[in-house]
Amino acid sequence: MMQSNFLRHGFTRIFFVPCLAIALSAHAQKEVTNSQMIGFGPTKVLDTYLSAEHFSGVGLTYLSHTERRKIKNPSKSVPSKITTVLQHEANLSSVKDRADNKSELEGAYNFYWGKLYGWHLLSDRLTLQVGGMLNGTLGFIYNTSNGNNPAQARAALNIMPTGVVTYRFQLGRLPLTARYELALPLCGIRFSPNYGQSYYEIFSRGNYDHNAVPTTFISAPEWRQLFTIDAHLSKRFTLRLGYLGNMQQHHVNDIRQHVYTHRIILGITKTFSVTRL
Amino acid sequence: MKIRAFIISISIICGLSSCVDTEERPNTPSGNFEALWEIIDQHYCFFQYKDIDWNAIYNKYRVRVSDQMTTIQLFEVCCDMLSELRDGHVNLSTSMDYGRYWAWQETYPKNYSDSLQRRYLDTDYMIASGLEYRVLDDNIGYVRCQSFSSAIGEGNLDDVMAYLALCRGLIIDIRNNGGGDLTTAERFAGRFVSEKTLVGYIQHKNGVGHSDFSELEPQYLEPSSNMRWHKGVCVLTNRSVYSAANAFAVWMHTLPNVTIVGDHTGGGSGLPMSNSLPNGWAVRYSACPMYDKNKNQTEFGIDPDIRCDIGNSLTYDAIIETARRHLTE
Repeated sequence: MMQSNFLRHGFTRIFFVPCLAIALSAHAQKEVTNSQMIGFGPTKVLDTYLSAEHFSGVGLTYLSHTERRKIKNPSKSVPSKITTVLQHEANLSSVKDRADNKSELEGAYNFYWGKLYGWHLLSDRLTLQVGGMLNGTLGFIYNTSNGNNPAQARAALNIMPTGVVTYRFQLGRLPLTARYELALPLCGIRFSPNYGQSYYEIFSRGNYDHNAVPTTFISAPEWRQLFTIDAHLSKRFTLRLGYLGNMQQHHVNDIRQHVYTHRIILGITKTFSVTRL
Repeated sequence: MKIRAFIISISIICGLSSCVDTEERPNTPSGNFEALWEIIDQHYCFFQYKDIDWNAIYNKYRVRVSDQMTTIQLFEVCCDMLSELRDGHVNLSTSMDYGRYWAWQETYPKNYSDSLQRRYLDTDYMIASGLEYRVLDDNIGYVRCQSFSSAIGEGNLDDVMAYLALCRGLIIDIRNNGGGDLTTAERFAGRFVSEKTLVGYIQHKNGVGHSDFSELEPQYLEPSSNMRWHKGVCVLTNRSVYSAANAFAVWMHTLPNVTIVGDHTGGGSGLPMSNSLPNGWAVRYSACPMYDKNKNQTEFGIDPDIRCDIGNSLTYDAIIETARRHLTE
């Protein structure tokens, strides 16, 4: 009987406990902060391929914003200085010209992936992060009146230097987090028809003419800012309120285009840990 | 140190970055006139070919514009200015009127009679999307194509070809066809070639200057992988064959078993694009010139192989009859 207990418990202690400890120490633990937001606000559109006129209206935006940080030492919850940012932004706008006679419909999906390096200051109340994001854009501007040039396709890849400032404070007993993210243009590549080139030539005839255009912060001065305030209402529920401004614009092939979206956004934020064995 | 470098970088990028924008013309008669002149100046593609001095035209018409003029008066001045381009693809579209230049068809005999055409089609003809067709008494297939705006699919063409397969020749009547979708015209023309065939060239503007053009890109007709026609074909034309229909006539003209019968075509070889003015008026203009296989302009149409008029008979369409004779000889 004694021998049997030793075999049962001793074996477990000698072999499984160390194995478990080794496994736990090798865990890759990540802290993930995810926000799901909806935004509403004005949109301004100019595309000289479609019209010389400026169009303005309102639009809706959905934004999913995720930050991931590795936890270096899970027992002390010391986060890594490197943060991975992942954002999905989809927007749809309906705009009109100043004569209220012509309409355009604008839609786009933007994907942002980036890495940020952070410094924690003022007893961790202030965090500064700098890094870069890769932005992919797919979208369209549809002019409801035009014949052979009814729409403009939008496709681009951009590298955007990015900075983030985060400040944690309390208002009464309510803990709040203010966060400002600014992404600036550096360089990229985008699709554009040539100045007077028709989509018939590009897609029906396969005649390409400078349609993949390298861009810089001079020819495509795009920038994007996201300001949010998180109200930590409970341990599980965080309300996020903020502003998203996305200034997408370029001047290539003698075609000028801008799509400015300003959104008041509202959403919820969740922070959780992910442990991978 | 890193933070300082980051802030300096941001400052440099912000300093060099600016808004991509254009100057907005005021929504006044002068502003709208200036906007219209500039849109045409920067986008229209036939200034050199037609030897038009657009600056001189600005001076000629600008003096007729004042901010006290009425909308109707402004429309009249703008249309007069646009008519200097002698282009059916140049239009000014408003809620009250449609500005146009149609001299290329209105100042010539029509050479088409709807009543006569009904006598040939009778009442038991068949309709496949935009194609009306039947077999005439002398076993000649007759296909009436009023427009390329209606979608004519491969299935429609298969059915028409199958129905007319035993005919000894085919008449395609595109008189009064004002154009439509170029890809539809291409699909139809692809039934009459058995190999990839050079039929023309196309180019576009690559800058705002009047002579800023891309290289000429060849246009090929690809043979349809479905049923194709190898017997004789006559394409009937008149002055109202325009735009995509003119392109169809130009392409068919290059094929060895095709004869163009009737009148000179209307032309319209500039693929049109649209823009708009501060007051909401829509303007259309020729943007991408198309050429025949010898790189000749076809903006003012092409001559038929057999020129003939419709005649004065109330029962007899001389153009159709000429085509029938040609196909049965």
